[in-house]
Order: sequence, then C-alpha cells, then structure tokens
Amino acid sequence: MAAAPAVGAAHVPSALLLTLLADARLPSGGHTQSGGLEPALRAGMRADAVADYARARLRTVTAVEAGTAVGARAVAAAGEDPGAEEAAWAARTPSAALRANARRLGRGQLRAARTLWPAAPGDGPDPLAHPDARTWSRPVVLGALAHRAGLDPWDLGRLVGYDDVQAVVAALLKLEPADPLETTGTVVALLPEIAALAARVAHLRHPEEIPTGAAPLMERWAEAHAVTTERLFSA
Amino acid sequence: MRLGVAGPVGTGKSSLIAILCRRLADELSLAVVTNDIYTDEDARFLRSAGVLDPERIRPVETGACPHTAIRDDVTANLLAVEDLEADFAPLDLVIVESGGDNLTATFSPALVDAQIFVLDVAGGGDVVRKGGPGIARADLLVVNKTDLGPYVGVDVERMVREGGAARDGRPVVALSRHDAASVDQLVGWVLGTLAGYRAGGHVAVDPGPMAPHFHADEEHPDGGFTHTHDEPAAGAHLDDAAHPDAVVGERA
Repeated sequence: MAAAPAVGAAHVPSALLLTLLADARLPSGGHTQSGGLEPALRAGMRADAVADYARARLRTVTAVEAGTAVGARAVAAAGEDPGAEEAAWAARTPSAALRANARRLGRGQLRAARTLWPAAPGDGPDPLAHPDARTWSRPVVLGALAHRAGLDPWDLGRLVGYDDVQAVVAALLKLEPADPLETTGTVVALLPEIAALAARVAHLRHPEEIPTGAAPLMERWAEAHAVTTERLFSA
Repeated sequence: MRLGVAGPVGTGKSSLIAILCRRLADELSLAVVTNDIYTDEDARFLRSAGVLDPERIRPVETGACPHTAIRDDVTANLLAVEDLEADFAPLDLVIVESGGDNLTATFSPALVDAQIFVLDVAGGGDVVRKGGPGIARADLLVVNKTDLGPYVGVDVERMVREGGAARDGRPVVALSRHDAASVDQLVGWVLGTLAGYRAGGHVAVDPGPMAPHFHADEEHPDGGFTHTHDEPAAGAHLDDAAHPDAVVGERA
C-alpha cells in the first residue's frame, strides 16, 4: 500500500479536527458520561425537560468548561503554564464529585492526545508533556490538545458545547424510553445555542474572563450520584 | 499481568474470580476491576466474599455499554487498572471482569494481556456450537457449573468436547466450584499463563470479532491473501506484515 503524502497537523482544517474530536467513536471515555442527566432524572426531573436542562448547562457549567478550554489553549499557544486556568475552573466547580470526574476525563483525553498528537522535533514546548498534565481537568487538557492539534478557539468552544449536549441526549436514550430521532432533534434545536456559546468564549484570553455561571442543583445532584451504588453513568 | 474475564450474564464470572482470589491471594498480589451494567453488584459480591481487601476491588461504570468498555473504548477500564497498579504496586495480577454481554464481547489487547471466556452448562449445550470469538479464540474457555449438567439436561462431556473442537486445540476447563480437581486446573492455567507472561513468552491475542478476510498485495502471486485471526500464531500477527498498523496498547 502506498504511503499517504505527509501532511503536517497545521494543514488539517480545524473543522475536520472538530469532527474527529466530537465523534462518539473517539476512544476517550465519553460513553461513561450523562452530563448529569442520570442523577437529574433520579432526583425527579422530567424527561421532557431535557432540552431546557441542556440549555441551562450551556449557559452555566458548560460555559465554564468552554471558557476554561479556550483559556488553556491560549496559554498553551503562549508556551505558558495553565495552572491559573485549572485553578479558575476549580473555583467555578464547587462540587468535588464533578471536579474528580472532570479530572478523570482529563486523564483519558490526555492519553488519547499523547498517542494521537505525539510531539515532533521542532514543535516547541509540548503542553501535553507538562508534569502536572495527569491532574488537569478535561477542559484544560482539551485546551492544550487544541493548540497541539490545530483546533481554533471557535471550534474548541463548539466542541465543548456540542459534546455536552450530545452526552445528555445520548444518555436519555439509555435512561428513558425515547425516539432517537426526536432526541437528535433536540440537539439540532440547540445548535444555535452552541454557536452562541462558542462566540461568547472564543476571544477569551485570561482566567478572570472565564464565565462564572453555576448550577447549584446540578452540583447537588452530582454529589448524591457519586455515592449512589446503582448507576449507569459515572456522572 | 492483566487478565480479562468475559462471558454472558449469569455464567459465573464473579464466582470464578472469587475462586481465583481465594486460591491466589496468599501467593500473588491481586486486584480486580468490575464493569457493572447497572449496579455495583459484582464489586459488592466480591467484597462481601471476603477474598480480597475491598480496596483492591473497584467498579467502573460503562454507560450501559459493557461491550464498548472492554473493546472500542477501554479508557475507563485502563484508568482504573492504572490506579490500582499505582496504589498497590507491585501487583502480580489485575483481573478485569466484563459486564455480562453477548457472545461477541471480547477484550481489546489494549486492555488485557490474556482473557478467559466463561460459559455455563445451564445456558445450554448448544452455545458452544454457536461459536464466536470468545468461544473460539479466548486464551481459555471455561465451561462452568458442570455439576448442574444432570439438572438442566446437558451432556457436559459432549459440551466440553465440542468446545475443544471449536477452539482448534486451545485449552478448555470444565469447572465446578464443588470439584477441587477442576479448580486446580483453572488455577494451574492462570499460574502457567502468568509464568509465560513474565518470561516474555506470552503475547496478547485478540480473539476478534473478525471474520476471515482478504489483504491486497501486489507482490503476492494471487494479488493478495486471505487469512483468519484464529491461527495458532495469531499473536505474532500483531508484528507481521498483514497489519502493520496494529498496536498493542500502551503500558503505563
């Protein structure tokens, strides 16, 4: 078989990377996540509120995640340490269970990123080789990965928003009876919200600019879920 | 060594692991990862069996995708194994129990070094004839609960014989936890495989699922060649020219 012509990461369109990273088939642990939907339903939220639920996340916790990722990308591009972004994210994520879950997801993402985008000579400092990288939350790892792979800040925000909505909607199919096309319709209806989220965070450069919206009920449900024995999803 | 235990629901995967822990905990440093579908039932069963320090038994949630968690996306399981290996270093053996799934669910070589596929006589004698990657090509096939044969109308001897035939000579253990000789056989296989692994002679084999397939090759007189993944030398296949992109998973 003839070898494919060598093409550097810089020549891959960001949109194509977004496709790859948003694909559920990317092996990085996404199938263990419900975006908090499992504990929400258990706490009595109605399944037909799922669109409102996903929208509320896009405006609060997911905005924090997207902003952190874009900030971490900017820091990686400047060759600096993302410690302030990690701290800013942690300060905006009061639930210890959610912080632990996000750091676990970060480890999974890091494993995929290091395998798929290994450092090459002449690349400059590799943010994924940072000694603390294994302790970073998912958005900080995603930001470093985005810089390394060539995903632009707009697509990075889209990725975080889209992934969160799909995690919620896909989990609904496992938790409640639902028509998969109808639930995908929910994702389609939320695409403008996802685009708005990406626009909101794309120009962000400093940790203090990361959105501060919180969702106390989701945090509380997440804490309850972490000590529940019967569960399908990690969070 | 990382050892996977797969097989349909209710065939006795957890009991088999409890047997291994009971027999090996004194001589080996062990840990277990369970993949519970909807509860942490398996982890609780093992913890309550008192065969291992409960801290060494950790459940992983699979998002209702037990198949995915051991094959298509092993991330969650790998992280759990890495954590156990870090917390209880040095470990001799980490056993990963899959959630009960269908006959096509086998472990990725990125997650385990060797795997056991478990069936039981109560599931019916015809299951071995249905075949599948686990039955045909797992490192070991266990036909469990042989003591139940007379009660469920299954000819155990025939089931084991047909299992062996489907496996092209790979080992089969007919197991009953009430039959000490069969337990010795199981434990002997695990220790033998571990010894082979330590000596560097054991290569992780991927049982599939993959049907015989064709590789185009311009230099081959027939323009290519057909091969299966159930040849005895399938492990070496990971290094050979047929699949140059095949990767055996990273080891932290």
